[in-house]
Amino acid sequence: MKADWQLAWRRFAVMLVKELKQLGRDRVLLAFIVYAFTADIFLAASGVSLSLNHAATLVQDMDHSPQSRELLSRFQSPYFRMDGSVGQDTAALAALDQGRAMLVLSVPPQFGKQLAGGQPTSIAMQVDTTNSVLGFLATSHAQQIVSQYGLESAMRRLGLDDKAAASLPTVQNDIRVWYNPNQQDSWFMGVAEMLNIATVFAVLLPAAALVREKERGTVEQLIVSPLSPFGILFPKVVSMTGVILCGVALSLFLILIPLFAIPVKGSLLLFFALSGLYVFTTAGLGLFAATIARNLAQAGMLSILILAPMLFLSGAWTPPEAMPVWLRGLMYASPLHYYLDIAFGVLLKGQGLAELQPAILGMSGIGLLVFGSGLLLFRRQFG
Amino acid sequence: MNLQRILAIAAKEWREIVRDRLFFSLAFVVPALLMLLFGYGLSLDVENIPFAVVDHDRSAASRDYAYRFIDSRYFRFHGYAGDERMAGQLIGSGEVRVVLVIPPQFGKSLAQGRPAAIQTLVDGSFPSRAMTTKGYVTAINAAFSLAAVAQAVSHATGLSQQDALAQLTPIALESRYLYNQSVSSIWSLAPKLIMVILMLSPPFLTALGVVREKENGSIFNIYASNVSRGEFLVGKLAPYVAISSVNILLLWLLAVLLYQVPFKGSLLFFLPATLVYVLCTTGIGLLVSVLVRTQVAAMIVTMVVTMIPAVLYSGLIIPIVSLGSGARLVAQLMPAMYYTDIVVGCFLKGVGLLSLWRPLAILAVYACLLFAIGYRLFSKRPNT
Repeated sequence: MKADWQLAWRRFAVMLVKELKQLGRDRVLLAFIVYAFTADIFLAASGVSLSLNHAATLVQDMDHSPQSRELLSRFQSPYFRMDGSVGQDTAALAALDQGRAMLVLSVPPQFGKQLAGGQPTSIAMQVDTTNSVLGFLATSHAQQIVSQYGLESAMRRLGLDDKAAASLPTVQNDIRVWYNPNQQDSWFMGVAEMLNIATVFAVLLPAAALVREKERGTVEQLIVSPLSPFGILFPKVVSMTGVILCGVALSLFLILIPLFAIPVKGSLLLFFALSGLYVFTTAGLGLFAATIARNLAQAGMLSILILAPMLFLSGAWTPPEAMPVWLRGLMYASPLHYYLDIAFGVLLKGQGLAELQPAILGMSGIGLLVFGSGLLLFRRQFG
Repeated sequence: MNLQRILAIAAKEWREIVRDRLFFSLAFVVPALLMLLFGYGLSLDVENIPFAVVDHDRSAASRDYAYRFIDSRYFRFHGYAGDERMAGQLIGSGEVRVVLVIPPQFGKSLAQGRPAAIQTLVDGSFPSRAMTTKGYVTAINAAFSLAAVAQAVSHATGLSQQDALAQLTPIALESRYLYNQSVSSIWSLAPKLIMVILMLSPPFLTALGVVREKENGSIFNIYASNVSRGEFLVGKLAPYVAISSVNILLLWLLAVLLYQVPFKGSLLFFLPATLVYVLCTTGIGLLVSVLVRTQVAAMIVTMVVTMIPAVLYSGLIIPIVSLGSGARLVAQLMPAMYYTDIVVGCFLKGVGLLSLWRPLAILAVYACLLFAIGYRLFSKRPNT
């Protein structure tokens, strides 16, 4: 019994060393793994912001009254950036066409006079909504500024001064944003990018490692050896998991924590343990593709087919609430969806095993299913 | 350059592609499938945000306030929560993204004409989503607050409530949405998806095709033959460009027919410009395949240099103007950004060569440069 166990361990160790050596000799590949886990994550975290800041704004003030100046001066950073004024409609349109401005505000003549006289008036805003989210945010912020100003000037005209205004039945809404109080995009972008990169490697590396053996014919050698199918596949996945976890550690300790001050609220041990589980699970998907494919080109196309939906539909870009029902179902089949919950839960929310239980169960369930069927397919092919 | 040799290489490559039936069909299926999946799935609209209410007041006013959110199509009511601790758990587990906490005495304060406070908790794990949510919450709160003030003013001045409201909102904001009148995501998304998909699939196909010969050793046949470097590269790449050209048409048809995106520009400009872009991305594949020796490395390098920039640095999700300086530099080094201008210009803005000659010229230079570097680096006399 004991000898069996030792033999299995030795076989495993030999295969593991073989896989690591094979990976280590591909220098270009190694360099790219390091690049992806450091420089690429740094760029994503430092540069990419999904929120509206400094939207280029042009004004077309045809009134030139104190009121119009006062209102326009309220369009300020961080949301807006005044880029000067334009005279004509055509100039404004040209600026929007070429993408030099995102919004143009026009104040009609007589605006100040009408406002002072208590007549209803209006100002016009043209928004470039090529990006619909930012278009919405810009409109909503502008609406807030305009109605606030309108309310204040109406109060003044009705003879209600500041003290009287304080005793009006207004509703103050105090909004608190949890987990990321300043809504720093770098936290979200950095972590999300790290997860994406880990996913790319977790699918591609094991898939490539297996198909390469098939294409070159070395898989025949493995099959005539006393290794079981599991004994062939398992060390491959373990070695790649190790490499990817090193990459994750690299990006976490070299980039995300020192440079972007991501607060690690939960246990790092838990995070790495669950990351290991995740990479293992996702590697199952890669192996699945590798058993179907006969050469690397096919494996590559199949992995794109697996990866792209996983990355896009994980819930990081698109809120699950906004997806059609059938796609939401598909999302629950993607391990990245659970890993996203886990990573943000442990790193930002400080959650432990108890809170993450459903996500962990979901992820392991998918992992077992995929890994099992991959093994079954492989055994049928070469058994 | 000998046309006959180029044709021979192209024919050989074509036959190799077609005989690998799985690969051949995936070359067309993958782009179309990605277009379908992302078109339906990648919605950036924030709607149906699940929220819960903690109502310590239980007055008519507090219910009225909650109903403003329940009735909104942006929010989906998850239920009342007993206290803040339960609400915190709901946010932690991701079941709701927003919790409204209405304090005791909320209705009484308003009835007596005093200001009242509400607390809103928002899940900030996804900052952009939190921003949008804050925008909705603020807007609904402002409307409620204004109605309450109007009621008080009408009491004080004797105006009718409607008149008071009109008095309090003297300025209307007339917004005009340009280029995408309904602010619907799919119109702005579909053209950019063409950009992303054409950034992903041509380099992948190309890189794999060339490196495969290297790794299998069949490239030694080329080294030993009288085919020149240029002839080999042109012949080798032609079938991949042909496949991608069919995909251009396929993607355009999907965008126009399935997603009903208006195409305001001219096809005569759009198709050649897109071909230049495809040449660019094919050139990226060529460059990768010249640099690496194994197909594994080719796959991963192409993935890293195309997929992630195509999504993050192309203006798909984040407009170039709101990128940081480092990321903007990356964006300007990649062809995707320039093609985004072209594809969005052609579809939504209806502009042509006159305003888009600059990105087109950059793409053309880019393509020439990539091919020149690929040609320089490809050697028939390898060191090893």
